[in-house]
Amino acid sequence: MRTTARLLTGTALTVAALGAFAVPAAHAGEEWNDSGGRHETLEIYPSSASPGTTVTVNTLACGKNGRGVGDANALGAGEFHLKPSTHKEIVVGQFTVPQHARAGTYGISVACDNGKTARGDLTVTHRRPSGHVQTGVGGSVGPDTAQVAAGAAVLAAAAVGGALLLRRRASGARGH
Amino acid sequence: MSNRSKGWGIAVAACVGVWLVQNGSADVTPPVPSAAQAFAAGPSVHTDAAADPLPPSAPVRLRIPETDVDAPVTGLGLAADGSLEVPPAGDRNLAGWYEGGTAPGAKGTAIVAGHVDNAEGPAVFYTLGALKKGHRIEVDREDGRTAVFTVDAVEVYENDAFPDDKVYAEADRAEIRVITCGGGFSKKNGYQGNVVAFGHLIGVRGPAS
Repeated sequence: MRTTARLLTGTALTVAALGAFAVPAAHAGEEWNDSGGRHETLEIYPSSASPGTTVTVNTLACGKNGRGVGDANALGAGEFHLKPSTHKEIVVGQFTVPQHARAGTYGISVACDNGKTARGDLTVTHRRPSGHVQTGVGGSVGPDTAQVAAGAAVLAAAAVGGALLLRRRASGARGH
Repeated sequence: MSNRSKGWGIAVAACVGVWLVQNGSADVTPPVPSAAQAFAAGPSVHTDAAADPLPPSAPVRLRIPETDVDAPVTGLGLAADGSLEVPPAGDRNLAGWYEGGTAPGAKGTAIVAGHVDNAEGPAVFYTLGALKKGHRIEVDREDGRTAVFTVDAVEVYENDAFPDDKVYAEADRAEIRVITCGGGFSKKNGYQGNVVAFGHLIGVRGPAS
């Protein structure tokens, strides 16, 4: 009797536990959206990506052989299409993180043809730059034209002065 | 004045003229920072305390009053090889900011780059190598605030010995780097290095939040 009672108690506890977790379990992979509908989980890989990276998303939300349209406008990547993968119950789509997407977390959503929606977050991170920059071609490098012009002017003046002096000296020599 | 002294005067003038032409014919290159402006020479006499970092906001304009720099700021990404993109070369008065990184005034290291020259002549950061410790770099931001930085050092690096960590690593206060080409020029290989001005935030002007 004692053993039976223990078994029964154990069973009751198990049933209670199942009951307690049954409801959340059924809704696992869903969250409430703003309009009261449910979003299903959108798997995003990698969940953290830098610009130029191709991001792959997949979800069960669209159903077997389903289709969907993804929205990556939050980070400027536009829309993308989701198609059944090799596992026909999973739809898959891809987009590329634009070069000028700022660092931060962005919501990516998918609208399935069956009316369901899925949502997930993508974190955009940036690498830091490496190496030197290419910020000049040498267009400022060259002779100092103002200085060359000044020098030429001084030289010309000296030549004129020298010529005058020589002529005066020559005429002076004839005069005496 | 005697003819003899007139003759000497003309000879001296001729020599000066020759020197001017010869000296002026040598290529003039952008200013190169002196050793005194490097970190190794010690901190500047007046080292201003670091100001508290601001929340991020994109830069719109950059000024360096001492060298008459006053230029709009555009966003930069990374090139395929991981190096920093540069602003379009056609615009001689345009600075670029690495928008994937820290905003000027925010905690971290904000990175700004601009051309020393283009094919037509000097560009926005031609005078960067003439900057000295204690000079100010001011950045106007989208949020209406102006982040004011003081120059901690101006250094020059060979292209193949560019110290990524020193220049690009995130600081734990609000810092800025301003980068351009420099450090010797050859017609064959172009500029042989980069001039980098390092600064930290010392003040903020503009509307409070």
